[in-house]
Amino acid sequence: MRRLFLLLIASFLASGAAHADRLDDIKQAGVLRVAAFDSNPPFGFVDPDSKQIVGLDVDYAKVLADKLGVKLELRPTNPANRIPLLTSGKVDLVLANFTITEERAKQLDFSIPYFSSGQQFLAKKGTLTSPDQLNGLRIGADKGTTNEIVLRRDFPKAVVVAFDDTPFAFTALRNGNVQAITQDGPKLVGLLANVPDRENYEIPPFTISDDYIGVGIPKGEKRLADVVNETLLELEASGKAAAIYDAWFGPNTKQPLPRLFKIGDKK
Amino acid sequence: MNFSVISDNLDYLLVGAWPNGPVGGLALTLVLSALSAVASGLVGLVLGIGLAMSAGWPKRLLVVVLGFFRAIPVIMLIFWTYFLLPILFGFSVPEIGTVVVALSLIGGAYLSYAVAAGIESIAAGQWEAGFALGLGRWRVLRLIVLPQALHAMAPSFVNQWTSLVKDTSLAYVIGVPELSFVAAQVNNRAMVYPTEVFLFVGVVYWCLCVSLDRFATALANRRGAAAEGAG
Repeated sequence: MRRLFLLLIASFLASGAAHADRLDDIKQAGVLRVAAFDSNPPFGFVDPDSKQIVGLDVDYAKVLADKLGVKLELRPTNPANRIPLLTSGKVDLVLANFTITEERAKQLDFSIPYFSSGQQFLAKKGTLTSPDQLNGLRIGADKGTTNEIVLRRDFPKAVVVAFDDTPFAFTALRNGNVQAITQDGPKLVGLLANVPDRENYEIPPFTISDDYIGVGIPKGEKRLADVVNETLLELEASGKAAAIYDAWFGPNTKQPLPRLFKIGDKK
Repeated sequence: MNFSVISDNLDYLLVGAWPNGPVGGLALTLVLSALSAVASGLVGLVLGIGLAMSAGWPKRLLVVVLGFFRAIPVIMLIFWTYFLLPILFGFSVPEIGTVVVALSLIGGAYLSYAVAAGIESIAAGQWEAGFALGLGRWRVLRLIVLPQALHAMAPSFVNQWTSLVKDTSLAYVIGVPELSFVAAQVNNRAMVYPTEVFLFVGVVYWCLCVSLDRFATALANRRGAAAEGAG
């Protein structure tokens, strides 16, 4: 119900009047307002020591703010309110593990992808080995994510239970309310790395979709989009993109994952 | 049960990222509650007096407006104010302002009826006695009716304020880092202690509401005793 409501509002807002030029506004204000996750390590989460939002998405946001020569202001977001925040002009960019889809591209623009992942599952050990089983299971998904949409579309007999955020879905999994939860693979790896009894769970080695993650940009802000894309390509060329990746997914982190995707591989 | 997740994050739960960021957690819940309590009290008092003292079309208009605010969920008013006003009217309300305004309007609408009912509960003889002394309507209201009515309304105010303290948690929908929002952040990071985290949050809200109730009761008793002493 709330998701439907959010979608309605979001589509209504998307039809609103176009803004002048956001790039000039950002420079004039001296502040880049970015929506980032506050509960999804290692993309965006509240650091226990500094109490600030940190993560892979935040590192990219910092680089973008530096490039524009302005201060970075982070707004905590969750999967469901990313689009309303952007379309109502409350933030200038969304960097929150935001999967590029045609449906979303009607309401906002995306940068070139800076991260790639596939939709995977997390379950108690031994419950899930192949996608064929999905149709018979109760599966937790995050409201307003592409994961939820893909699951409903491709596995119509699976019982999909929608949650506000991945950790809530994981709590439902722990308590036995659902038998598996679904999210982008790297996000599940990041989640599992923080679970004390992680040996009881597993991420079965199959994916049901390929997702590309981009920066959400207000519709029609061509100049802003150009700066974002240029900056992302520069980051790849200078090796800084690989360094950011390694800081969160490198061999010495809690969730080591090889880097298979480079910025610029896909437009 | 492992309550170290609470003690480890206690400062974040109590004051948020402050002093290295905006005030959040319990402190922000208290600020939101206090501001909304005062504002809803004022709105309720003014509109309630309006409701009791007006007649004809101004009264009907007031009934429609109050009916609107009593009929929509707080969470929707917060959501609309925050996401829709910038598009419709081109101005942006900051998060905390949005929450305080939404809670005050809805709380105030409920309180208006309590105030109006309190005024109407005062026997007609009190009004007539006032008029017989040559006082006008507003002076009778201020000097005779309202002092008695306010005493009768006090429980309704406490009820509304208690509900308001709990409703501040709805601020999460626009990302205001009050107690329940920061608790969700801590819970989402710690992953496996939802029982401990949300038990703590529940106990804190319970303490807040019970202390509010106790404080109001004590205040009412002291007022009552003072009034009797004076009489």
